[in-house]
Amino acid sequence: MRLYLTIIMRSLLYVSLGIMVYNSVRVEQQFELLGRGYIDGFSVNIDNMVGHIFIGITIILVIMNVIHLLFMGKNKQAKMEDYILPEYDASDERSVEITGKAVRFAFAFILLYSFLILGSYMFIPNYFLDYVWYPMFTTASIPIVGLIFYLISFKVLYSR
Amino acid sequence: MLINRVKELRARYNLTQGNLAEKIGVTRQTVVSLEKGSYVPSLLLAMNIAEVFNEPIENIFYKEGEE
Repeated sequence: MRLYLTIIMRSLLYVSLGIMVYNSVRVEQQFELLGRGYIDGFSVNIDNMVGHIFIGITIILVIMNVIHLLFMGKNKQAKMEDYILPEYDASDERSVEITGKAVRFAFAFILLYSFLILGSYMFIPNYFLDYVWYPMFTTASIPIVGLIFYLISFKVLYSR
Repeated sequence: MLINRVKELRARYNLTQGNLAEKIGVTRQTVVSLEKGSYVPSLLLAMNIAEVFNEPIENIFYKEGEE
C-alpha cells in the first residue's frame, strides 16, 4: 500500500511540475510571438491550484521520506542505501533483493523509453510552436513510466 | 537448486508462518517463498532459521539430490 501511495504521489509531483513548467513556457511563448509581431495580444488565466498541489505533494513526500528514514534507521540490519527513497522496500532481505531487481528492470526500461522519446522529437519538428506541451510532458513521463514499471516489476517478483 | 525443510520443521514446532517470520525477522511473504523454494536465503537468515529449529544448517538446507 505504501509503495502504491508513494508512486502515485511521486507521479503526481512530476505531472504537477510538468503543468507548471508548461504554463510558464506557454506565457513566455506568447510574449515571444507578441514581440515578433505574430499576434496583437493574448490573455492568460493564472491558476495557482497546480502550485498548491505541487507544494502539498512535496511536503507530504518529504514527511514520508523522513518517517521512512527514521523507521528504517532503527533496523540495525538495514543499510542506508537500501531505504534511501520511500519507494524502496527494505522490510527484509528478500524485499531488498527484489527492490534491486525491480530497479534494474526499471532502469533498462527507462533507457529504452528515453531513446524512443528522444527519437519522437524528430516527428514533431514544430513542437516549439504548436505543441509546446510535448517536451514538458514527455520528459515528465520518463520518471513516471519508470516508476510504474518499477512498481509492476516489484509486485510481480514479490508475489512469486 | 537448494531444498529446505522449513515447512516440515515449522509444522513440527507448531509455528505459523507469521510466528516464524517474526522470530527470524522477515515478512510472512518471505517465509512463504522460502517454503515454496523460490527464495534462497542469505547465510544470516539460514543461521537464524537453524537457531529457531535448533538444528544444524545442513540439516535444514541441502542441494537437490543430497539427503
